[in-house]
Amino acid sequence: MTEPVGPMISFQNVTKEYDAQTALRDISFSVEKGEMVFLTGPSGSGKTTLMKLIYLAEWPDAGQVTIAGWNTSELRESSIPYVRRNIGIVFQDFRLLDNRTVFENIALALRIRGAGDREIKAKVYDALKTVNLRHKADSYPKKLSGGEQQRVVIARAMAAEPTVLLADEPTGNLDPETADGVIRTFREIHAKGTTIMIATHNRELYRNSGKKVLRLDSGMLAGEEVC
Amino acid sequence: MPLMYAFRLAMQSLRKDKWINILSMLTIFAGLFIISISFFVFYNIEAATRNLPEKFSMVVFLDNNLPQTRIDEIAGTLRSKHTVSSVKFISRNDAFRELKSTLRDSQYVLEGLEENPLPDSFEVRLRRDAVGSESVSRLADEARKMKGVTEVDYGEKFLSALHNIRTGVKIGGTILAIILCTGIIFVCYSTVKILFYRRNEEIETFKLLGATKGFIRAPFIIEGAAIGTAGGLTSLASVFLLYYFVFLKLTISVPLFKSVLFPAVWFLLLPVIGMFLGLFGAAVALGRLRY
Repeated sequence: MTEPVGPMISFQNVTKEYDAQTALRDISFSVEKGEMVFLTGPSGSGKTTLMKLIYLAEWPDAGQVTIAGWNTSELRESSIPYVRRNIGIVFQDFRLLDNRTVFENIALALRIRGAGDREIKAKVYDALKTVNLRHKADSYPKKLSGGEQQRVVIARAMAAEPTVLLADEPTGNLDPETADGVIRTFREIHAKGTTIMIATHNRELYRNSGKKVLRLDSGMLAGEEVC
Repeated sequence: MPLMYAFRLAMQSLRKDKWINILSMLTIFAGLFIISISFFVFYNIEAATRNLPEKFSMVVFLDNNLPQTRIDEIAGTLRSKHTVSSVKFISRNDAFRELKSTLRDSQYVLEGLEENPLPDSFEVRLRRDAVGSESVSRLADEARKMKGVTEVDYGEKFLSALHNIRTGVKIGGTILAIILCTGIIFVCYSTVKILFYRRNEEIETFKLLGATKGFIRAPFIIEGAAIGTAGGLTSLASVFLLYYFVFLKLTISVPLFKSVLFPAVWFLLLPVIGMFLGLFGAAVALGRLRY
């Protein structure tokens, strides 16, 4: 993917409907390269839908979504995987493969990109070190706690060194102490220049962070502020 | 590297879902085995009937006391036909001599014959590719119309039966092979489809992590090909075992079987045929992936 001209993520008057029910209405905002942004709002406000529009799991019914300069509605189907490879995703439901070890789960993101075994080993262990789970490399996801699984997902998302990192409720299942650790990890990743968007309804995560916060309410952008 | 990974995933899946894979492999084996046996029968019928036309000849009987010039004219006309490979004149005396020699042990049949009852004739041999019931019948009609020809004799019924057997076996074999191959493709299609649906969630994760369609499809295609190849190898082994342990033993007690041919080289293609059918079935099953 070429170096983006303009914002890394841009929404222009985006509307998304499911069976005539509006999930997002006329949303416009932009996220610059290297920026860390929080997306907040109550459950059902449209945070996950907005994330899905970014990682190309959904397409807008109206308006325009641009990722790294690419208008998602104009992308050829064959280009979608290559755009997705630039986006690391921390899924709300983890999406870990239970029949593969922690190492293999993280390695998958790199194998998909055609990385060699040596590179995979180095990057997976680096990512595991960042999330303090190097000792769990050979464990299976079901043997891990919720917090550990969350960190494995983060490691998988960051191992492939994406341009954009999306996290959907990354601390939803975690105790405050583990949640702090996860947020610290995101800050470290952000410090390396990665654009990050975190969807959360946990106010503590972004309070006094000095980062941009986009507030969604009933599918509409209710506010944009720096907290 | 992705290809190696696809192989690894395919092998893992073959082990993990071994029962469905074994069942599919056995079904493919059964189909290919039936095709092999049919081919074996067809091959031997074809081989047995292939050389018969060369031995086939038509006899053109002539008027008695026909002048030599007319005999030569008839011989020339027959030789000019593109279906004719050779024309041999058999004089009535030669024919009678041969009859006597044939009936050496039954001379009483000829007792009372005061003169040679046999006419002069031509023995007409046909080219192998021209021996079809229609072309022979046409040639016989043409010969009958020639002046000086009294009768034309050829094994019309035999030729027609031979032609029908060969055509019947050919058509029947082809239809059977098509039906069974379609069945094999369907088995591979169903197996891969089931495996694909079972791994649907995993495939969704693959897609979201940026996997291309080729990356997702490759393990399933390899799996389909592996199941097909395994079915082919099993049928190959079974055909050879059947031949060596059953058929060869039969030749000892039933001499007729000694002339039966075993087209071993053709049977070596079975794993390749199985692989291609498996590949095709898997490719159809995966269809068009959508993101």
